[in-house]
Amino acid sequence: MSIVWARRRAAAGRLWREFAADRAGLVGLGALLGIVVLALLAPLWISADDLSVISAPGGILEPPSAEFWLGTDHVGRSVLDLTIYGARVSLVVGIAAALLSVGIGTVVGMLSGHFGGWVSAVLMRVTDFFLVLPALVLAIALSTMLARGLSTIIVAIGVTSWPSTARLVRAQTLTIEARPYIERAQALGGGHRHVLLKHVLPAVLPLVLANTTLAVGSAIIAESTLAFLGLGDPSKVSWGQMLKQALDTGSVTAGAWWYLLPPGIAIVAVVLAFTLCGRALEIVVNPNLRARR
Amino acid sequence: MSELLELRDLSVNYAGARSDLPAVRGVNLRLAPGEKLGLAGESGCGKSTVAMSVLRLLPKTATVDGEILLDGEDVRTMSWGRLRAVRWAGASVVFQGAMHALNPVRRVGEQIAEPMLVHSPQSPSQVRARVRELLNQVELPAAKANAFPHELSGGQKQRVMIAMALACEPRLVIADEPTTALDVIVQAQVLDLLTRLVTEQHLGLIMISHDLAVLAATCERLAIMYQGEIVEEGESRALIADPRHPHTQALAAAFPTVGDPAYRYAPATSSPLGLPDPPATGPAEPLLRTEDLRVTFHGRNRETTHAVAGVNLTVHGGEILALVGQSGSGKTTLARTILGLQPPTSGRVIFDGEPLPTQSSALRAYRRQVQLVLQDPTSALNPRHSVYEAVAEGLRIHRLDGDERERVAAALAAAELRPPEEFMPVLPQQLSGGQRQRVVIAGALALEPRLLVADEPVASLDASVRGEILALLLRLRARLGLAALVITHDLGLAWNIADRVAVMYRGELVESGPVDEVLADPRHDYTRALLAALPDPGPAPEGGAKYAVGSRRSERTV
Amino acid sequence: MVDLPLTTEPVIEVRGGEPTGRGRALGTARFIAAKGAGALVSLLLVVVLGFFLFRALPGNPVRAMIADTRTSVEQIEQMRAEWRLDLPLFQQFLGYLGDLLRGDLGTSLRYKQPVADLIMTRLWPTLLLTGTALVLSVALGLWLGTRAAWRHGSRFDRWSTSTALVLWSVPTFWLGLIMLMVFAVGFDLFPTAGMTSPGGVDGFLPAVLDVAHHLVLPAITLTAVVYAQYLMVMRSSLLEEMNADYLTTARAKGLTDDQVRRRHAVPNALLPTITIIFLHTGLLVAGAVTVETVFTWPGLGLLTFQAINFPDYPLLQGTMIVLAGAVVVMNALADVVYRFLDPRVRQT
Repeated sequence: MSIVWARRRAAAGRLWREFAADRAGLVGLGALLGIVVLALLAPLWISADDLSVISAPGGILEPPSAEFWLGTDHVGRSVLDLTIYGARVSLVVGIAAALLSVGIGTVVGMLSGHFGGWVSAVLMRVTDFFLVLPALVLAIALSTMLARGLSTIIVAIGVTSWPSTARLVRAQTLTIEARPYIERAQALGGGHRHVLLKHVLPAVLPLVLANTTLAVGSAIIAESTLAFLGLGDPSKVSWGQMLKQALDTGSVTAGAWWYLLPPGIAIVAVVLAFTLCGRALEIVVNPNLRARR
Repeated sequence: MSELLELRDLSVNYAGARSDLPAVRGVNLRLAPGEKLGLAGESGCGKSTVAMSVLRLLPKTATVDGEILLDGEDVRTMSWGRLRAVRWAGASVVFQGAMHALNPVRRVGEQIAEPMLVHSPQSPSQVRARVRELLNQVELPAAKANAFPHELSGGQKQRVMIAMALACEPRLVIADEPTTALDVIVQAQVLDLLTRLVTEQHLGLIMISHDLAVLAATCERLAIMYQGEIVEEGESRALIADPRHPHTQALAAAFPTVGDPAYRYAPATSSPLGLPDPPATGPAEPLLRTEDLRVTFHGRNRETTHAVAGVNLTVHGGEILALVGQSGSGKTTLARTILGLQPPTSGRVIFDGEPLPTQSSALRAYRRQVQLVLQDPTSALNPRHSVYEAVAEGLRIHRLDGDERERVAAALAAAELRPPEEFMPVLPQQLSGGQRQRVVIAGALALEPRLLVADEPVASLDASVRGEILALLLRLRARLGLAALVITHDLGLAWNIADRVAVMYRGELVESGPVDEVLADPRHDYTRALLAALPDPGPAPEGGAKYAVGSRRSERTV
Repeated sequence: MVDLPLTTEPVIEVRGGEPTGRGRALGTARFIAAKGAGALVSLLLVVVLGFFLFRALPGNPVRAMIADTRTSVEQIEQMRAEWRLDLPLFQQFLGYLGDLLRGDLGTSLRYKQPVADLIMTRLWPTLLLTGTALVLSVALGLWLGTRAAWRHGSRFDRWSTSTALVLWSVPTFWLGLIMLMVFAVGFDLFPTAGMTSPGGVDGFLPAVLDVAHHLVLPAITLTAVVYAQYLMVMRSSLLEEMNADYLTTARAKGLTDDQVRRRHAVPNALLPTITIIFLHTGLLVAGAVTVETVFTWPGLGLLTFQAINFPDYPLLQGTMIVLAGAVVVMNALADVVYRFLDPRVRQT
């Protein structure tokens, strides 16, 4: 139906203008786009040899120079190349874990908000239980027990960080369901499916989107922390893995700041970019927040 | 200068407001000591802005022009220190919605005492004695000083607000919609109390309300505001008896006089479609019947609430029945049970000779026959759905045959939204309150129901729109033979459109019968109390009218 | 005819009635009992989780140990016996439950000591570190958050919010590494590792000062990450109260700006903040694991790290149960405390 499409286009335009009004959000979005493009294109000029421990091009722990702008690591690889390449794993793990976590949270939140009675009671009880548990400790236990690998890290982060999303979505579901238009839909004859899919889900989705953006940031930090604790995939280059190797090989006591700073700053930059985007999205979704920012 | 308060050419502008018009434009008002002035107008007319400007309580985005002379001193140019001294000691405020105006985590006694301590240091025992005296004045037991706001009922909280306003013996009290969220009978008590205290202590009073009847019963003079301006001002009774400005006329006409035949089957409407003739009397077949219906809720602390306690109610085909009661009387629960949204604890609902089905497919078929119209059309429509989608929602749920667009157009036309095509792509927020309610009604009509259950259908609408929606219900009944169960707290509405009235009190039907009989000669004490609580604007002109009725918003406290 | 109550307050409220003093005390007792039962259920869930994570998952510890060349045959046999791996799963669980009730968490593979003893000796350093960081973060976060919200949009607000956002994006361990490199290695102001100087110091006061000297960097690192969250929470809950009607009432009464903030706005904003602070105790625990690892602080966090790297399953299981259990108990306590702080919760 053309009317609907025209309205959706207009709505998308309005949302974009509202998002663009937030300068910090725009900066975050710009930074993210840059980092993603860099990560996607990285294989074009960084070859497997550059990242190999055996055929590393430089000397051990060289300080920054014209050839290696950010110096070299403990086996002589370019820290700049490693940092750029590391974005791939960090982004993939961050985004996949965030999607998994937000997906679980959304389903649990919507179901426990919509169905009252024991369904809601049990789901809430479980959510609250996992909410207070230290997610990192759980993730540590999970990734110790499962085979090492990216998918293990994704699962470990995803299944331990969903409760806050579930709480948020549940609260939003309850707000929506308290609105009289839900009662009207029920009086018109609409059942659970109708209410959940036509009214609750569209109202919850924008919130979920903003939440996912914020969750990617936390997931990237969690990934680097797990890698740092020695639970990462040693065969993949990631920022957390780099920092772990920096510590293990004594770069800190050797004062090799060029090995320590780039991956850390990269994490801060990406997480901050996702956070700024997420906060800007939150305002678009819930204009009442504007007064609180 | 003898004036207590004088506003000279007051204008208030909000930075970033959507409309270019200032919220308040060139308002001039005077109030002598001990005088009571009513400020009336619909929502958004600027009356609250005027009130808040007196103590400079407007948000920072507001710019104020003109003069605000409180006892001859301009509030606008006062220093902060002087302003703080004048606040509460010179003029105090009874805020709208005591629910939010009291700090939820502090005892009400402390909150009453606070301004006393701020303005004149006194010993704790003096303060305690004064708090006791104030609570006594507002007819609350002194022990309530130790209560937290949430432990008090709405009326009690408003009494605490009044005690607080009187704490520093101000010369002026500003009451901003002091009784809006309260029930009819509580409202009458609070109004009584406020008026008595203000008169006894010879204080000036500015009372703000959207309800002319309430103001007329309290104040000597009335000022009517419309779009930021004062359009009419004068002695209360004269102004109500003979309103000059069209807006005042609309406001006054919206409050029917119960018992006056001129208002029977005649809600205020300026629609060219006019009003249908009063229905020919004649017993019709019962369409909906409840048999000893009971709904019991179990609270957290093992207390049980009998929301509906054995109700036998009958709605005949093509009849408009008004179900009257205060909030908490169980009338909304009754409606939800009739619609099958709330399972009854015991008893039956019988529609068209068949008991209400329980399995979901049959219940869905039943819901085609009985449709719901809610109190607040703004929240009854999904803000993301266009008018077309809102009206078509029921059609899609029931997968009705035929051209969907044609049916939607017909429903919109039936709800008098013409031409229908222009309304279809519009989102609810772009419509006025009255138009939104028509969309809700159209959504119900699209399913061609036989009974409409309307829960406070005009309570959230402005007075001037109210009559139009009521007239629509009358025309729908005349044209489609549509029966309606109208739930309301407003006896005037019953007098305006209903054939029969049923009065509900504490979950039971205490009285029912034809409107003319019940309201002229109420048999039950509660019905009498409801009628007596209607504010009395003074001796009625002619026609032996006994009561005037205000249309009060009864906001549901969620 | 029905008697009409003379003062007709809405019916529901008339029926509610006043809770008597005794009724209220009973309600409190019942509330505490309910919360205690809830906490017990949560603790049981932690225990069950600890069991299944380590035995029912595909990566069965013994299989992992066999695959790992570092583990000896004796160690594998020790695990097999201690965890009763030859019995059916349900009997394993009963045995595990019985051991737990006796306070037996098994024997560490790495240290060859009972896990419970190891945890007890490592408990106090962790409490010292997290306690110090918690006090500092709460004080700093609430104070700065209140100031930022009250002067919303000011330069102070923008700066403190931006700082908090950046700190929120910093991985704790990396911040620790930087602190270590700059202040311990670079300037040599603080020790790089441990809680006490090797060899020890004589006298009580010097010993205390020595520990304090070691505590500075880890405590600052943990505080920096945690206070940022408290600041944001306090700021947003105060901003939420900023437009509340009762603040207008307070201003209308003639209170100064300061009085309005102190007496009315902050007490209301503190309540949700306290809840969230307790809800996020897990954050403090996660911070402790990484900070202790970086600074080799001899606490439970470091113990966890050492268990991961060995891998020492009984020890890891023990630290997980203790850390998670502590958080559960903290939250149950918070619920009870909250009831006495918020009059609205107190009544129901």
